[in-house]
Amino acid sequence: MMMQRRCLTMWRRSLSAGYRCFECRRGGPKGIWSSPAVRACSMPACPAGRITALEAIDLWKRCFEKRGVAEPEHSSQYIIAHLLGAKTIESVEQERLTEFLSQEQTEQVWKLCSKRLSSMPVQYVIEEWDFRDLTLKMRPPVFIPRPETEELVELVLADLQMKSGTQHTCLEVGCGSGAISLSLLKSVPQLKAFALDQSQEAVDLTTENMFRLGLQDRLQIHHIDVMKDAQSVLSLCSSVSALVSNPPYLFSEDMASLQPDIFRFEDHAALDGGTDGLNVIKQILTLAPQILSSEGRVYLEVDPRHPPLIRRWVEVNVEELQYVETRHDISGRPRFCILQKEKSNKDHELDLN
Amino acid sequence: MAYRKVANLFPRGKEFAFSLWIPYFSKTRGVISQSVSLHGYAYSLYSKRTLHTTIPLLMKLLSVEELFAKRALQDHLRKMETEYSECLKAVSGSVTEEQCSEELRAKRTKVSLLSPLIQSITELGNKEKDMTETEMLLKDEDPGLRELAELERETCLQDIHDLRQKILDLLIPEEEEDLSDLILEVTAGVGGQEAMLFTAEVFDMYQGFAQHHGWTFDTLEHMTSEIGGLRHASVSISGFQSYKKMKFEAGVHRVQRVPKTEKQGRMHTSTMTVAVLPQPTEISFTINLKDLKIETKRASGAGGQHVNTTDSAVRIVHLPTGVVAECQQERSQLKNKEKAMKALRAKLYSMKLEEETSKRYNQRKVQVGTRGRSEKIRTYNFAQDRITDHRIGMTVHDVKSFLLGEDLLEKMNSSLQEFSNQETLMELLGEDSQHGS
Repeated sequence: MMMQRRCLTMWRRSLSAGYRCFECRRGGPKGIWSSPAVRACSMPACPAGRITALEAIDLWKRCFEKRGVAEPEHSSQYIIAHLLGAKTIESVEQERLTEFLSQEQTEQVWKLCSKRLSSMPVQYVIEEWDFRDLTLKMRPPVFIPRPETEELVELVLADLQMKSGTQHTCLEVGCGSGAISLSLLKSVPQLKAFALDQSQEAVDLTTENMFRLGLQDRLQIHHIDVMKDAQSVLSLCSSVSALVSNPPYLFSEDMASLQPDIFRFEDHAALDGGTDGLNVIKQILTLAPQILSSEGRVYLEVDPRHPPLIRRWVEVNVEELQYVETRHDISGRPRFCILQKEKSNKDHELDLN
Repeated sequence: MAYRKVANLFPRGKEFAFSLWIPYFSKTRGVISQSVSLHGYAYSLYSKRTLHTTIPLLMKLLSVEELFAKRALQDHLRKMETEYSECLKAVSGSVTEEQCSEELRAKRTKVSLLSPLIQSITELGNKEKDMTETEMLLKDEDPGLRELAELERETCLQDIHDLRQKILDLLIPEEEEDLSDLILEVTAGVGGQEAMLFTAEVFDMYQGFAQHHGWTFDTLEHMTSEIGGLRHASVSISGFQSYKKMKFEAGVHRVQRVPKTEKQGRMHTSTMTVAVLPQPTEISFTINLKDLKIETKRASGAGGQHVNTTDSAVRIVHLPTGVVAECQQERSQLKNKEKAMKALRAKLYSMKLEEETSKRYNQRKVQVGTRGRSEKIRTYNFAQDRITDHRIGMTVHDVKSFLLGEDLLEKMNSSLQEFSNQETLMELLGEDSQHGS
């Protein structure tokens, strides 16, 4: 029980108290940053006096709060941790947080935090983020991978590792930063993969991430739009054991209500799935039987409203594909669809022999 | 030569502390034989040993030779030999009888468990025979031969000493948890900011200790205070013998000094608590996923592509017990979930162990502290520049070096290990004599 209580109080850490304390103790140097004008906060002027990392975090947190920037505390912490060469503020040694920032560092803080002030996502501001055990480069407007997609990779990995031993190939449609393909390749050493995206920026970013992780021997990246150029996809790959995608699945009507971070910075083509959010999904499922090997599988991340719609649509429209199951994400939403190609006739004959 | 100080734990008869541990071997035989098949060690459920000497005993360490001079030890070794040969006979004899296969399997396990010990005992016997022969040669008339015999005698003595040490080590049962990794929890106790500052120093000390041993040190939770102190932190540590060593660090650590925060130069006494929880393997302890409630920032709203957040914290509640674990150390939500699960498993596992332990003690109607966690184990006195471990009454000097977590802490830790080993050995022998009488 004691443990429980301790955990509850630990859930939120507060740096604000700490900042105030330092302010009192310092007393002396009156940087512009502590003047009332800055408290009102349009955009804090770069301080003339020296300030510590902890003070900078608090200053920007409050500034973000006032300007209605989402996740003010996390934003300020992640940006400053990044400038101190760490991933999270918790992993920065306590002494470094209470040391003065150099002039150069202070300017960097101001430069990056100003970007965040314009609602640019933190991942774009610091130009990187973690996905599973990878650290990936991030660049606007390429879609920022969401945590749900980490779970999608988990599903594919579980299946691939079950039938290990044979050489597998997978195809990813809409690779964005390359998160899915690169994670799969990293975890399954004998796997090969194709990654496609309709956006040149995404293709470039996936390529960059691939080289950074040294996975260039096993990944082919192509600039192809599956909606317009199905033929290229089919000529490129066949007999794939897994077709994975986090396709654009938002309903067009939901686009307008997206938070500004997403709406203004991320590629709409990676988000907007048409009226029912199924445009790209339907195209993928139509092509799947020609791309997959016998008993190959499709793994999709979708909107929670989608699974029943997809099941029905496939039953009517794609003969060779079977709907296997719907899986839920960490928060319990129906989020992933798994489908499987039927055992082909050729294989049946082989079995008989 | 590792010289040991002298102790006599026997004459205290029924009063000495570890007599509390002795008599349940026979009572829990069923449990023990079960654990043989599970974990391959007959003594694995024997006790949760973390040094239980709460009363400062006149604890002294016996030398190897002194221990071997004890009749109880010789009796015990003979008993082991008899047991071994009986089991061996049973195993090699009745191969066809299927109905007692369960018993047979237990005996087979016993044989393989005991064989290194028996081998060493045999070797020791041979060496001792050699020794007698060599001593005969020492009386020879040829001075050259006598010189040779003198040399021979020295190596013989060394070999005998080494073999005896080995036998003692083999007698100490390995605990199941000794092989596991661990979760370390440090929490500030009495003393406000000063206690938190001290907690940060102890945290750094164990980080240094882990580095010193080449263990991994992976922070799960880290809650700092305003002035650079630490309210609470938990860490996953893994590496060779990590739990075996760290378990002796669990308990209340006390600091006596003039705090940085003190204006009038008064001496303060503050405390912090160290908890060391064995980290169970996936196989030895499973959690039903249905019992878990996982909370994230993304739990409300649409999630997925609708939301972009940098808050990847994960909080897991184990519904049947209400135990909570959380992690926000990582930028990846999945990694945070994995780490929180790790912490949760350790918490639940240690609760289970505590429950088992206390159940056993209740059966015997004996009061024992909860694995030493609430006991004051060590004092760091800055004014006198000393660290005293109250369990074994050992004092070392140079607090600053000690807090590096290197040789001085290692020295203290090894002494604790030695005392603990001897305690166990005495339990073992004491039990024999009880059964015998």
